[in-house]
Amino acid sequence: MTSNEMERAGNGVEDLDELTLGSRLSELERLPGWIDAIAARFGFTENTRFAVQLCLEEAVSNVIRHGYANQDGQFLTVQCTEPHEGYVVFTVEDNAAPFNPLESAALPAVGDQDPSDLGGQGIRLMRGFADTLEYEAKAGGNRLILGFSNAGANAGDL
Amino acid sequence: MGIATEALDGGINKVVLDGSLDIAGAAAIDLRMNVVAGASKAVLVDMQQVSFIGSMGLRALVQPARALFGRGGKMVIFGPQALVEKVLKLSGIDTMIPIYHDYDAAVAALR
Repeated sequence: MTSNEMERAGNGVEDLDELTLGSRLSELERLPGWIDAIAARFGFTENTRFAVQLCLEEAVSNVIRHGYANQDGQFLTVQCTEPHEGYVVFTVEDNAAPFNPLESAALPAVGDQDPSDLGGQGIRLMRGFADTLEYEAKAGGNRLILGFSNAGANAGDL
Repeated sequence: MGIATEALDGGINKVVLDGSLDIAGAAAIDLRMNVVAGASKAVLVDMQQVSFIGSMGLRALVQPARALFGRGGKMVIFGPQALVEKVLKLSGIDTMIPIYHDYDAAVAALR
């Protein structure tokens, strides 16, 4: 993480296109407001906004709780791009130990799980709400890429 | 995230949730949900006004439910919005806490 990024995270400075978060679960409270701004910019449907918040909350909390083991002083970024009209991509990047969450074993249904470990349901939820979900290893960390069509078609599949 | 409780006939406690069950929302209701579940034999969780739920929100439901079931109690979820219901079903929570969209049926399931 560059010194500029750390300064931005510490000062709560937010780009419309990129959000830098510290490795504390309390930082997740900054997500909804940023997502609201992104949603307004790109004209998200309600379904898309819901899906984005759900998936980013899961992805970011997984990095903080598992990648960084809840240790303060680390950072991660969430970047938003629109590679083509009507399709938005969010990229979550961290500097944690290499880990591909998409290769984790399928979790049992929530009724069979220890309630204290329900965060693991995040991958299941991301698969159900993101249109695309990809992982890339990067030098010194991880990159999770989530794509959403802004037609709300995925969330509409009920 | 708002939480209100109401005692119904037959020893049923109704919990009405209002807002977003994100991480902050889950923290806001966590203690009260566990208190209500600890003092009840039957709980109806009214989720008609819940606009969002993530995995931390799921935990805020499952933890008190497990405690309640362990004492022979019952819990049902009433009226989740479509996207919230999709989350509940994707995670399998509906196999643990039944979901109803008919209020009378939800209450009857608790008697």
